[in-house]
Amino acid sequence: MSSPATVPFAVRPNTSTLQQWWVLTVRVITPTLRNGEALTQVATSMMFTAGYYIPLKQIMSAFVVGMSYGQYLMPLIALQAVAFAAVSAAFRSASDSVQGINRRFKAMEIGSLTPLASRMSASMYRCVIALATALVCGHAIGFRFYGGWVHTVGFCVLMLLIGAALSLLGDLIGASNENPEATVPVMLVPQLFFGLLSVGLQPVERFPEWIQPFVRNQPVSQFVYALRALAGDSAASPGEVTWSNLSPALAWMAGLMVITVPMHAIVAARRR
Amino acid sequence: MSLVSQDRMPVLRNGPVLRNGFVGVPPDTFRNAGRHGRHRLRRHWENSPRRLFSDTAVFTGRVLRRWRRDTSTLVESLIMPVVLLVTLDIVLGDNVSQVTGHSALYGSVPLMAMVGAMTGAMVSGIGLMRERTDGVLSRLWVLPVHRASGLLSRLLADVVRIMITTAVILGVGLALGFRFRQGILHAAAWLFIPSVLGLAFTAAVITLSLYAANTVMVELSEGIWAVLMFFSTGFVPLDQYPHWIQPVVKHQPVSCAVEAMRGLSLGGPVLAPTVEMLMWAVGILAACAIPLAIGYRRASMRG
Repeated sequence: MSSPATVPFAVRPNTSTLQQWWVLTVRVITPTLRNGEALTQVATSMMFTAGYYIPLKQIMSAFVVGMSYGQYLMPLIALQAVAFAAVSAAFRSASDSVQGINRRFKAMEIGSLTPLASRMSASMYRCVIALATALVCGHAIGFRFYGGWVHTVGFCVLMLLIGAALSLLGDLIGASNENPEATVPVMLVPQLFFGLLSVGLQPVERFPEWIQPFVRNQPVSQFVYALRALAGDSAASPGEVTWSNLSPALAWMAGLMVITVPMHAIVAARRR
Repeated sequence: MSLVSQDRMPVLRNGPVLRNGFVGVPPDTFRNAGRHGRHRLRRHWENSPRRLFSDTAVFTGRVLRRWRRDTSTLVESLIMPVVLLVTLDIVLGDNVSQVTGHSALYGSVPLMAMVGAMTGAMVSGIGLMRERTDGVLSRLWVLPVHRASGLLSRLLADVVRIMITTAVILGVGLALGFRFRQGILHAAAWLFIPSVLGLAFTAAVITLSLYAANTVMVELSEGIWAVLMFFSTGFVPLDQYPHWIQPVVKHQPVSCAVEAMRGLSLGGPVLAPTVEMLMWAVGILAACAIPLAIGYRRASMRG
């Protein structure tokens, strides 16, 4: 029989949400530096730049009047790079769900949104890499900021907000289908579908009549319009930075977030 | 009532089909089971070539059945290239036919058949990794089956899958206006081209998946197929690329396949691109063969 004095005990440490968030974020970020994931993020950004610009420059330049094709194409390239970061986020969250670490978190003294918050910070880290690489690649194909530093900052912030919205969506898809191998193709089809059927590659008038309303109003096109306006051009053709130019993009983004966040709560509350 | 002893079991002697629905393989040794002891399959050593065919067939059926029953993966691997084909036709179809004078479909349908083959290879690579993690591979490794059958069956199943994907894409292409102008034999040959190069690509992806980390393999093979798609003559015509990159575009494997298939459907040179594509396929397979076999064995014996 042991007396109370010999029973080992430990004081439960005070948990700080901030520290937990940081630990969980580092948990996702560290492997990307070790297994080459960060490198592939850079490589895919470069791949999207080269893959759209080199084959399409000559064939599309004729239809894009008033600005260089690099300047025209850059918003779409940056969007595709950021969307690819969201694909990685989806893969990550699907792997987490299927490997049971999320279940384990539920049994621990962790706020219910902390794992999501940490995954989102890791996604933002991916988005920053993707955006930085895309900007460097864009510079190489002749993209420049003409709108002053406020517009330049606006461009980057809008880009990262879009990245956050897409990563939330990707994370949700990954967490809900719990199938890493299915996640990547699922995400890739819409990425290429919306990317190709947008005003990012060619003006809306070049599309067949029946699909023009869709092309003009779908989110990627609206993002491209807003980003193009923020980037500006030497000849001021892509449109002014006005509320009417930016609001559809912001509305799409806000809508995406408003829908995905409650669904995250539903998926997170699901029991198995 | 006592238990029926093994050599009195009537079903065993009456025929190869057992009461529980299994078929005894191979039948002649099976009939001898009662007379010669417990080892029903003693006549054929596990690595005998005779076993290779039957074992591979069984495992191929297993891989294909898994593919068929995983509805989401099935739909994706069929729908994704179809969606891309229609999208590409809407976005680039007019521009390309203005430049070349022919419908862009003669390039984009083969291109999408190749994309379907390559994305499917990625899916089977991930499936293999998952079976390794779940221990299915090591479980199959302890069975008295031919050592090569596990790997061969995967490659064979992928050939079947690519043929089906190609046929579906062809159906959509025909609806959009794609036609065979060279006759039935050429059309049959057209159908086989993607599976040849796709087989090599599958071998490469599986090799990669046996050696690289999960995410890296997925992103890498995705990047590779995207590059092969963007820089191929099926995307836009060769003369639209800058001069310095044209040799690369012209001689990369997917372009060779696309050009061979263009020749077989629309007309034009067939032999040169086909030979070049075959060289690519053989080269990739030869480069992967040994690491693939070693990696598969290692993955099977793990854990």
